[in-house]
Amino acid sequence: MEITIPKNFERKFKELLRDDWEKLIKCLEKRPLKSIRINTLKISKEKLIKRLKKKGWKLKKIPWIDIGFFVERPEDIARTLEFFLGYYYIQEASSMIPPLVLNPKPGELVLDLCAAPGSKTTQIAAMMENKGIIVANDDDIKRIRALCSNLQKCGVKNCIVTVMDGRKFWRKGLKFDRILVDVPCSGSGTIITTYSIFKTWSQSLVLRLSKLQKQLLQSASKCLKKDGILVYSTCSMDPEENEFVIDYAVKKLGLEIEEIKIKGLNHINGLTEWRGKKLDRSIEKCIRIHPYHNFTEGFFIARLRR
Amino acid sequence: MIVLSEKRKREIEELIKKNYGADIKFEDILIKTSKNKLWLVSRDLKRIKLNFRFNSIGLYFGKLKRNNKIKLSIEGCQIIGPKATRNIVVLDEEEAKKFLEGLNVKPKEKIDCEVNNFVLVKFGEDFIGCGILREDYVENLLPKTRRIYLDIRKV
Repeated sequence: MEITIPKNFERKFKELLRDDWEKLIKCLEKRPLKSIRINTLKISKEKLIKRLKKKGWKLKKIPWIDIGFFVERPEDIARTLEFFLGYYYIQEASSMIPPLVLNPKPGELVLDLCAAPGSKTTQIAAMMENKGIIVANDDDIKRIRALCSNLQKCGVKNCIVTVMDGRKFWRKGLKFDRILVDVPCSGSGTIITTYSIFKTWSQSLVLRLSKLQKQLLQSASKCLKKDGILVYSTCSMDPEENEFVIDYAVKKLGLEIEEIKIKGLNHINGLTEWRGKKLDRSIEKCIRIHPYHNFTEGFFIARLRR
Repeated sequence: MIVLSEKRKREIEELIKKNYGADIKFEDILIKTSKNKLWLVSRDLKRIKLNFRFNSIGLYFGKLKRNNKIKLSIEGCQIIGPKATRNIVVLDEEEAKKFLEGLNVKPKEKIDCEVNNFVLVKFGEDFIGCGILREDYVENLLPKTRRIYLDIRKV
């Protein structure tokens, strides 16, 4: 399939990635492997692996997560009995990272501000062993249906679903131990799986989203308990949606950036300068995952503390 | 929405025992919403003030029906199934495939079943949903949104 890369996209990302631009283009030549996350709320890792291997599945462990696997299988992995029963969840390998960085514990109060369709929420619920409470919010009623359906299928008992504009969520007056803010973004990191991003991406969209992302982060920060952890993530490679938002969080919201350590994950540090604008030095503690680092979708993740 | 009292929870447990022979003790909070729907929610719900509007809460477990019957969700079946001793139908591969597609099926085996009652549907070691046992078939109660077309032999 021939892919046309818009000139403005090419110009911006050549400037950002420099010599790595060619690596990004090379990534577009083939599709990454599908990946699954074992739903430990319903079945043990050992038991499911045994079942799938018996059926001839070839599984390759995702280096950074114990219960995540790349699947080499030509058939549709959504049309199996195990998927029907909610024994595994189909999730892009890099999208499993933000919940790992959030590291929620059983019994805590957790907010997932932009939760739909629920990949990360169900992962958080599994990490919390169905104990504690997750408030999963989104403002899109259609996507909320998908969220509820995924929560049900995964056997999640500790989740309350709310539908409201995340920018106004702080008005509820709730306080949380941990918050995930996986914001709506331009999706420039997902180009290796979603070629249509080339059609929807534009610099004006990025700037519009950057404003929304700051507002969502501000709302979330007001819901964070003292010493609480907030994880901000996007599947975008654009600095305006990532480092610029975190710079705002540090300078205007008084949040502190923490180091992120994930074993087996290739990444680079957050930028501290872009197009002449100097950003807070501590932003280099954030991580940037570009598609060619691990042959997955790209992500940006920041771990913040109040 | 009503949070069921411990006494009411014990009554539901009794109902499950009577219907499916399963000795179960709910550790979670049990909530009843409109249309007699039952939801299981983590005990930690007590730690949060529910003074805000929400769309849904917890895991849909099943629905209380007339005549002290209880229709279980797929997840409800998966929770109750391993402890159940009665009102279970077992399917073979072909029938299980049909069941997952939403069709009525013929059971290979019936374990202590009452006709015209809700039954747990089992295939292999898995409980795959709920149905109503009729004279010579099982009426499929899988929700449309969960139906799936697959070839069990190939997967």
